[in-house]
Amino acid sequence: MSGMTLGGSQIDASWFLILSAILFTLGAAGVLVRRNPLVILICIELMLNAVNLTLVTFSRQLQDLEGQLFTLMSITVAAAEAVVGLAILVDIFRTRDVEDVDELSEMKG
Amino acid sequence: MSANQVTLLILLFPAAGAILLAVGGRRLPRIGTAIVGPGVVWASFVATLVLFSNQVKGDFTYWTWIKSGTFQVPFNLLVDNLSIFMCLVITGVGGLIVSYSVGYMEHEDDPSYARFFTYMDVFIFSMLLLVLAGNFVFLIIGWALVGLSSYLLIGFWYQRRSAVLAARKAFVMNTIGDVGMILGAFVLFMTYHQTTFAGVFAAATNWCPPNAMCTLVFHSDSAVLELAAFLLLVGAVAKSAQIPLHTWLPDAMEGPTPVSALIHAATMVTAGIYLIGRMHPIYDVAVYAHNAVAIIGAVTALFAATIAIVQTDIKRVLAYSTMSQIGYMFLAVGIGAYAAAFFHLLAHAFFKALLFMAAGNVIHAMHDEQDMRKYGGLFRQLPRTGGAFLIGSLALVGVIPLVGFFSKEQILGAAFSKGDPLALSVWVIGAVTALITGFYTGRMWWMSFAGKPAPERPVEHPHEAPPVMLVPVLILAALSVVAGFIQTRALGFGPSVVSDYLASAVGHMTWEENSGAVIVGLITMVLSTALFFAAYRFYVERSWKAWSANAPWAQRMLERKYYFDEMYDAAFVRPMDAVASWGARDVEGPVLDGLVVGTGNAAVAAARSLSLTQSGYFRNYVLVFVGGAVVAAVLLLIRVA
Repeated sequence: MSGMTLGGSQIDASWFLILSAILFTLGAAGVLVRRNPLVILICIELMLNAVNLTLVTFSRQLQDLEGQLFTLMSITVAAAEAVVGLAILVDIFRTRDVEDVDELSEMKG
Repeated sequence: MSANQVTLLILLFPAAGAILLAVGGRRLPRIGTAIVGPGVVWASFVATLVLFSNQVKGDFTYWTWIKSGTFQVPFNLLVDNLSIFMCLVITGVGGLIVSYSVGYMEHEDDPSYARFFTYMDVFIFSMLLLVLAGNFVFLIIGWALVGLSSYLLIGFWYQRRSAVLAARKAFVMNTIGDVGMILGAFVLFMTYHQTTFAGVFAAATNWCPPNAMCTLVFHSDSAVLELAAFLLLVGAVAKSAQIPLHTWLPDAMEGPTPVSALIHAATMVTAGIYLIGRMHPIYDVAVYAHNAVAIIGAVTALFAATIAIVQTDIKRVLAYSTMSQIGYMFLAVGIGAYAAAFFHLLAHAFFKALLFMAAGNVIHAMHDEQDMRKYGGLFRQLPRTGGAFLIGSLALVGVIPLVGFFSKEQILGAAFSKGDPLALSVWVIGAVTALITGFYTGRMWWMSFAGKPAPERPVEHPHEAPPVMLVPVLILAALSVVAGFIQTRALGFGPSVVSDYLASAVGHMTWEENSGAVIVGLITMVLSTALFFAAYRFYVERSWKAWSANAPWAQRMLERKYYFDEMYDAAFVRPMDAVASWGARDVEGPVLDGLVVGTGNAAVAAARSLSLTQSGYFRNYVLVFVGGAVVAAVLLLIRVA
């Protein structure tokens, strides 16, 4: 069971994992380098979905539904997280016009 | 009402009075304070009389206070003839003195007035607890509480520096005694696992509970009993101002005069006598400690009497006289003449309270001047106070038929006729002291009341005290005259009411008085009376040359009170001061402060360097997080591979 059927052709599972890794790295890089809070939030979503892809891949690979169930759970949490994150952002934008998260550095020690 | 409830009432009256005055004293009108303060003492007196007239005896246990393994402390009150006797003295004489205070403290403002009576009632309560307690724990509680109330009352005029210092001195000295008491109780508890008197005595000695038949048992553990007896003696010596823990009593005269009369003459300072009388089953076995009691008493009696010769402050003369008279009582309990000691305690409570209160009247009339050299010729102007003072003085000297003669000569007679060398030597000291007593008492009375008014007298035409201050004095004067007739054993015949009454609690004297004692007693009386009158020639007529002219060194030594204060200063106070100031200078600052401040500084420095990582930049945090995750992943991969 080294691959799985997709649209009639066999694709090796490692391709999915490579895609997932690329997406995750993109997301992480985005979080690190971008300064717009909204974009950072999108990048976090990207990382989450990369992880979801990994979970689904292994679920198929191992013929175990738990991975897919966990993905559903993760999507739910991601939705909630997006709500909270966006709400905080909206609040921040309301009090001041922030385009750069570096401006939000008052909490330093 | 049953007997144990009445016993509890004796304690509850003054306690309730103290609480009432402490809580509501500021709101109570002045007349209310003046009624509640003495009223509760008289109420206790009535309750005591009820027990006395019904001849109640018993060991009443009310509840168990502490129970832990073999350690059991019940709250029990021991009612026997000794504790009733003491309660009668405390509440009777105490009632008179507290009533007298109503007049004496008249000049205080309202809060101080209430405070004074609060303290007085606290004292009466504590003293009653002390004599009624049926176990060592409550004895010690009462013992400490009388020390506390003494402290509060000596320092009553706390605006005066000297009063505060005197109060502190009394407290420290008494605490030394308290420690001795507590250690003594520890020794007894460790040995016999008992806290009640009945339990300890039954386990340790051949003591009989009231109304029981007992057989004589000799115990071999008298080394333990000697230790316990010596430790308890430390407590007794401190409380009763005996050598070497006596220096607080003369200073305690800084307190108001009624306090001196009540606490430092009539009641608290006799607690040591009560303690040894109560513990007599132990002292009867612990021979060395018992002899030490007699020696300490005799030495203190002589020593204090000699100092009294040169004092010029009228209250200090009385204070040294009190030490000296309590020395007689120690002497008496020390040779085993317990009943004689307690008779003298009663007599002394009468005439010394009388003397103090009469002195208070004089001080009042002289606008707080206490120096006898500035009195003179007061007898004509204060005839009642002067007459009462004369009766008290003659009772102190021991002139027939005043109470002091019968009580003092009974002690000396008992010592004279006991026959062993120790008793004989303390008799010699006691007899010499009696002569000196005659002299210093005479000096005090003649200097104050006879002759011409001193030129520097503060008041030209003094007024006699108001009735509230005069009546208690006259009552005590009457008692000093008649009380002697209840026990005339000093003359070899007649009734012995006090001895018979106390026999069930402290036993009979084990030896017979011999008839020679009566003769030497009368000789002593004649000589000391002669010295009383000789003092007139020395100090008023000045027709005889002052003795001090021949021996100025002796006068100096007496005026410095045998250098006890100086010795204690050099031996304890100054070394302690040196250690304390060394500690303040070299330990407190550099070491203790250094440690505390250093710890704080180190924490601040560490926090400051750590706070550099908290840049506040979101990126940094994420970078650290991601970097950490990468490192963790790499480590994981290495382990798997």
